[in-house]
Amino acid sequence: MSTATATLSRKQRKDPVQKATRIRNPLSERIAPYAYVAPFFIIFLVFGLFPLIFTFYVSLFDWNPIGKQTFVGLRNFEQLFADGRFWNALLNTFGIFLISTIPQLLLALFLAHLLNHARLRWANFFRMALLVPYITSVAATAIVFAQIFDKNFGFINWVLGLFGLPSVNFLASNFGSWILISAMVMWRWFGYNTLLYLAGLQSMPREMFEAASVDGASSWQQFRHLTIPSLRPIIVFSVIMSTIGGLQIFTEPLLVAPESGLTCGAGRQCQTLSLFLYEQGFGLFKFGYGSAIGVVLFVIVVLVSLLNFFLSTRTRKAR
Amino acid sequence: MSDVIDEVIPQSLADRGVKPARPPKRRSKGGRVSRRVYVFLALAVVVSVFPLYYMFVIASAGATAVTSIPPRMYPGTQFFDVAAKVFDTVPFFASLMNSVFVSLTIAVVSAIMCAMAGFAFAKLQFPGRNLLFLIVLLTMTVPAQLSVIPQYLIVSGLDWVDTLQAIIVPGLASAFGIFWMRQHMATTVSDELIQSARIDGANSWQMFWAIAFPVVRPAAFVLGLITFTGVWNDFMWPFIVLKSPELFTVQIALKQLQANRTIDVALAMGGSFLATLPLLIVFFFVGRRMVSGIMDGAFKG
Amino acid sequence: MKRSSTAIIATAAALAVALTGCSSSGGGATSADPNAEVSFWSFTGINAKDSVNEYAKKVPGAKVKLTEVGSTTETATALTAALAGGKVPDLVMIQNDDLPKFVENSSNFIDLRTLGGDNIAHDYLGWAAGAATATDGSIIGIPTDVGGLGFAYRADLFEKAGLPTKPDEVAAMWKDWPSFIAMGRKYTAATGKPFVDNIETSVFFSTVNQVSEKYYSPDGKLVYDTNPQVKDAFDVAVKTHDAGISAGIAAWSSGWAPGRANGAFAVTVAPSWMLKGIKTDAPNTAGKWRIASVPGVGGNWGGSVIAIPARAEHPEAAWQYIKTMMSAEGQTDHFTQSGTFPAATSAVASQSVLDYTDPFFGDSKIGKVMATSVQKFPSFYNGPDTTPINGALLNTLVQLEAGGVTSDKAWATALHSAKQAIGG
Repeated sequence: MSTATATLSRKQRKDPVQKATRIRNPLSERIAPYAYVAPFFIIFLVFGLFPLIFTFYVSLFDWNPIGKQTFVGLRNFEQLFADGRFWNALLNTFGIFLISTIPQLLLALFLAHLLNHARLRWANFFRMALLVPYITSVAATAIVFAQIFDKNFGFINWVLGLFGLPSVNFLASNFGSWILISAMVMWRWFGYNTLLYLAGLQSMPREMFEAASVDGASSWQQFRHLTIPSLRPIIVFSVIMSTIGGLQIFTEPLLVAPESGLTCGAGRQCQTLSLFLYEQGFGLFKFGYGSAIGVVLFVIVVLVSLLNFFLSTRTRKAR
Repeated sequence: MSDVIDEVIPQSLADRGVKPARPPKRRSKGGRVSRRVYVFLALAVVVSVFPLYYMFVIASAGATAVTSIPPRMYPGTQFFDVAAKVFDTVPFFASLMNSVFVSLTIAVVSAIMCAMAGFAFAKLQFPGRNLLFLIVLLTMTVPAQLSVIPQYLIVSGLDWVDTLQAIIVPGLASAFGIFWMRQHMATTVSDELIQSARIDGANSWQMFWAIAFPVVRPAAFVLGLITFTGVWNDFMWPFIVLKSPELFTVQIALKQLQANRTIDVALAMGGSFLATLPLLIVFFFVGRRMVSGIMDGAFKG
Repeated sequence: MKRSSTAIIATAAALAVALTGCSSSGGGATSADPNAEVSFWSFTGINAKDSVNEYAKKVPGAKVKLTEVGSTTETATALTAALAGGKVPDLVMIQNDDLPKFVENSSNFIDLRTLGGDNIAHDYLGWAAGAATATDGSIIGIPTDVGGLGFAYRADLFEKAGLPTKPDEVAAMWKDWPSFIAMGRKYTAATGKPFVDNIETSVFFSTVNQVSEKYYSPDGKLVYDTNPQVKDAFDVAVKTHDAGISAGIAAWSSGWAPGRANGAFAVTVAPSWMLKGIKTDAPNTAGKWRIASVPGVGGNWGGSVIAIPARAEHPEAAWQYIKTMMSAEGQTDHFTQSGTFPAATSAVASQSVLDYTDPFFGDSKIGKVMATSVQKFPSFYNGPDTTPINGALLNTLVQLEAGGVTSDKAWATALHSAKQAIGG
């Protein structure tokens, strides 16, 4: 309430007559910074922090939103750790993360390296074209990739057929569906990451590369000894962002196999942790169990962030 | 290749502090781009654009295209029929309008909010500033969706289920946006300017609107674009809180198109293409600014 | 002090609004005007629009705002979400699979006995009305339709394989499931092609509903893992797979609709509401399909009830809609127009239903086949976990066909995942 009044009173003071009083009495000026950051923090408290804490609370209940709420202590967690579906979802999440992140970042590095040529023509065209996947929605991506990878009529299987290979039902196995979902994730983000790396490269003196080529360093040598070391901080940053993004993969597995509802395949081949949370929370309305999955996700995020933090400080020291 | 340079360069590379003497640009090898580079880049462009093209092919080629072997690779003439069917099957026009409204509102309001907060964090001194900024940074790494269940409880407590404000209000708080605007405020708004304004008796509100904001307006614009794209494409939260088809955003309408009892692939592809088209058009005009904005942000981060 | 308290107070206020809102939502004045505008949530694909238009004709001045929320599951999800906190509709369709968990929490709905529902409940098939009755006797929904079951088969492909083509002869030949499998072997041997589209929806959904006791005992105890009838039903599906006569094309997967058109299989399960889908998926097969009774004859897949949430704004108007449109006559009309099979006992036995045929299906006696199936449908108790268990068993069969599980492990896998699904 009083933040709002503070804003109002400042507006009124635009009147020059009052200038003198303000300098003598800068209370509003001392409050002002808080007013600027308050909108964020209020919304964050209500829709971010409070729900996060409340997740821990709900996870201790058998919580039926249209029925009873019973306190069950840690039983949801006991059940979760004994639940094969949970371990399956965890495995899928990390499988997809690994398959999508590593090749993607290598590809992005490589493309950034190519785009960094000083005399490259149509540079803006290339950059813009690479960003097209980024503006395409995950939902649209999932729909079109499901068709491209279709077991009967898909483009990929047709290409495999040209090489005499049997057609693959990507959605039938865990590994196959990881590839399919990873392909979507890679496609959407490789251009974006290329631009990040390119920005990093361009912040380095171009002379370094020119000198290296004059010296006869091959493209590969430049890449290995110049590009990668100088991009290390940005690479660490993008790995962190990809990890957090990877833990949130939801729409791709939801939409890629619509006939199997919320499980992404009859055997939960590509059900990720986020989708498992949604299935339990909003498909079956087991709010307590779903929240327990949320708590586990939170713990994983914290662990991964700490790991990244230690890795990045170590590489910094190593340099 | 010349022996002289050969002697100099390796060391300069090794200790990386020393800049080698810069050879005249025209003669340098770095200036020539081999054909292979263009081949690789062209391939990357094809991969980037192919799925969108393929959406259009399937949507325009008629019912048999989906099941044809080899897969159909060129568009047909029936796109408008499929588009009409899209608008007929779900309230697609209303969905487009909802998406425009939600994305635009969040993009504009959140860009201003983030600029204000970024200004405070970059240019104003106040107790607790670093702690608060640390909190902002930390919230960037915690995915919101792990607490969707309590978020849903709150939204339903406010009686906001199945309303657009359930998407707009939570969407306004962007830790990334604050981080982004703070970096731009810190690097592009000069402290001298702020100081002299203060001496002239301007209060912080005036300093923000008259001095700081005009300088960072381009950055705020790019942030708005990124936010707009993100909100336009957001799926999970709208999927949870929106229940009535007339309130669907375009992504949720897509899900409904796809989930029709018997799957009509052409219909889903047509919807996907139509849902992407508005952003493609916007991107055509402002894509260059978006590209440089993203690269700028990366550099500063 | 004052500065930091500012933020805290503002936040506390916002949180208070959020939290107190939790308990204050709901209520609201209800109106007794029978012609008030009724908000109505239905599924896509069952032509609810026709019913609404029909209602407007029958009751001048009545207003209905129809929303086709999505699939049956999506509608149930949206309803649960709305009941948990949000604006509820005045009228809502609930598919039978989703019904038990709503019946279990019956206080979320108006007990239709208070509006006179007990006077009309006995007009409907006993098992259909029973499914919408809670243990305390309250009636939360009136059956709108049932999922009368038949098998659709391609007479032209049967002929090529040297099998009979007339529905009566076909039904006689596959009088039980072993003969069905034997027939499939004959077809596949003659044509080299699979006989039936899949084992989970076409076989298992049929067999598991021909039992006298399903996943629960009559007194409500879970028996899915020990009930021999369930295992037998499951085994028929596994045997069908082992016989090599299934195409392994799951319902609504990408090859399904094309398969109906291109003869990738000759038999598919056909609850009455699905007949329309066959027509739209395979318009070029007009006249080639026939409808016959399923092996073992009795069956039901789907069907729904219509209910009024407790917080509905216009319960009287909603009830007027139910009374008007769910009459035997109203359900008969809707069947002939859109294919959902009536649940009212007199409609099931009526001449206009029994005589219903369709040239697309070679004028097979669709109405008669469906009527017999729902009359012979055994009633058994369904509990809140019926649907998750069903899903687990079904998904195991999908995996079996995709090669993810072997036949000898299928039952154990199915029990294991059913157990996980119900959290036990």
